[in-house]
Amino acid sequence: MSSAERTFPNEKRILTSAEHNRRNARRRRLTFLVLVLPALVWFLTFMLWPLVNMFYISTNQWDGLNLPKKFVFLNNFIRIFHDPKMAIALHNTGIYLLVGILGIVPFAFMLGFFLSLRRPGYRILRTIFFSPAMLSAAALAMIFLGVYRPDGMLNAFLKAVGLTAITRIWLGNQATALGSLIAIDIWGGIGFNSVLFFAALASLPEELYEAAMLDGAGYWTIMWRIAFPLMIDFIGIVTVLQFLSILSGAAYMILLTQGGPGTSTFTLGYYLYDQAFLSHRLGYSQAIGVVVFFAGIVGILLIRRITSRFSN
Amino acid sequence: MQTRVLRVARRIKKGADLFVIGGYFFSTIYAALIIVPLYFVIVSAFKNNNQIILTPLALPTTLNFSKFFQAESNVHLLRAGLVSAGITTGAELLTLLLAFPAAYAVARIQTRLSTLVESVFSLGFLIPGLAILMPIYEMTAKAGLLYHPIALVILYPAFNLPLAMILLSGFMRKLPRELEESAMMDGGNILQIIFYIFVPICLPGIITVLVLNFINIWNEYLFALILMDSNNRTIQLALALLRANQRAVDFGLIAAGVLISMIPVYIVFILFQDRIMSGMLAGAVKE
Repeated sequence: MSSAERTFPNEKRILTSAEHNRRNARRRRLTFLVLVLPALVWFLTFMLWPLVNMFYISTNQWDGLNLPKKFVFLNNFIRIFHDPKMAIALHNTGIYLLVGILGIVPFAFMLGFFLSLRRPGYRILRTIFFSPAMLSAAALAMIFLGVYRPDGMLNAFLKAVGLTAITRIWLGNQATALGSLIAIDIWGGIGFNSVLFFAALASLPEELYEAAMLDGAGYWTIMWRIAFPLMIDFIGIVTVLQFLSILSGAAYMILLTQGGPGTSTFTLGYYLYDQAFLSHRLGYSQAIGVVVFFAGIVGILLIRRITSRFSN
Repeated sequence: MQTRVLRVARRIKKGADLFVIGGYFFSTIYAALIIVPLYFVIVSAFKNNNQIILTPLALPTTLNFSKFFQAESNVHLLRAGLVSAGITTGAELLTLLLAFPAAYAVARIQTRLSTLVESVFSLGFLIPGLAILMPIYEMTAKAGLLYHPIALVILYPAFNLPLAMILLSGFMRKLPRELEESAMMDGGNILQIIFYIFVPICLPGIITVLVLNFINIWNEYLFALILMDSNNRTIQLALALLRANQRAVDFGLIAAGVLISMIPVYIVFILFQDRIMSGMLAGAVKE
């Protein structure tokens, strides 16, 4: 150490430059904080703090905004375990997730792959596929109200092609209501995600396909043997986003079915909404929120695990 | 040798053809499945209810605008549109004001804190909106802002900050280092650098953020439903109300409302299609 010092004759200048650096670093950090703080405070106040509050409220019995909270610790969660409505909600949400994801992701991937071949007309197809993503939940609900109602578009179509036997009140029938709502998600979801896949596939080098084609592989083989393994992480991302949006979705149930008929469209998201804003059991609603939050995390881990198995 | 090349070439063509034909086949079916309901809504807005039921897919014989006037008088669509436009404008400005300096800091100032800040914002994708709706409702009530549009102007930027940060900081990272260095030499301070150098250069990124935020905010339903009342209905609330007001569903009326509510978003979509797609992709990848 001392020999090193001796090799630098002007050690005083080195010291000041180190000091200078340190002061610079401090000033940099200060500037950083000043610039980041407003956004960070905003985000913490209106996103993370409500999340923390959700956990807190879930430990209370609270029957109205103007009524006092009563701390009941884990009582709400114990109730959840014995709540038959919770079992129904979990069951319906499970079906919604399974059918929704399997109905969207594979088809979106295949259509996205087809788009990425950039055959004539792919631009107009891309625009059409993406256009449902521009519709709000309320607009979608209203459009499909017109499709599903007793004298709506779907039944008119079925009658016109001679399938009068399967016409029904799609949203008013216990057997078809949940499926009809899932179909709205699938209807728009395939298109939106196919365009995401298209954009992600466009970043792959073309030589990858060419080499395989010279070996005599067709597009079908290339899609599953080359594009699929390379896209597996992205497929995971798309699946996670779809999972989260279905898991905490309530808009179609609020707008179209109110969880019915019977309990056929009674999902986790709708139960949360119902408890918070219709039944005024605020504490219990937030306990359901905690379940939704952790179900989301478990779902993400599960999907990651599945996709990582595929990529090995 | 030549025959082998030919054989391979033919095989490529044959395999490709079958796949491509299938691709067109399914794409066309799916495109039709998307277009038909949208077409159905558009034509329904100009028909009377008998025509909607009897000839759902026929073009309207006359352009009948009465459903639009009826929708306006029933739920005051125009007023709701203005409320939505006001909320959207305020929330857009606030989002940019908050996100731009923060994105600059994260992208251009080297400190270990940036990864921490970025991971805090990326938590936003994990938080289900529905779950925090109740705590936010309580918070809004305590602040005395319940049923006031200002509440949504304040809240929407928080929901849109993570995506805005990702897009803007991603854009800024691609810019050369020399940008600030030369400005620093000229004695510019950090705010001057941000406003006079980075804002103009980042205009494409800013437009992408504005467009994506516009779609999200204009289309938002759940928070508006809980936090607004009949005096401050957003366009989405008015739209949903077109159904609630009727004992029997008047689909022509609803279709007129749907059409009005989606026109602004579709104009933006037509103008900025590529930005919207690439922006949403970037948001998904960085999740």
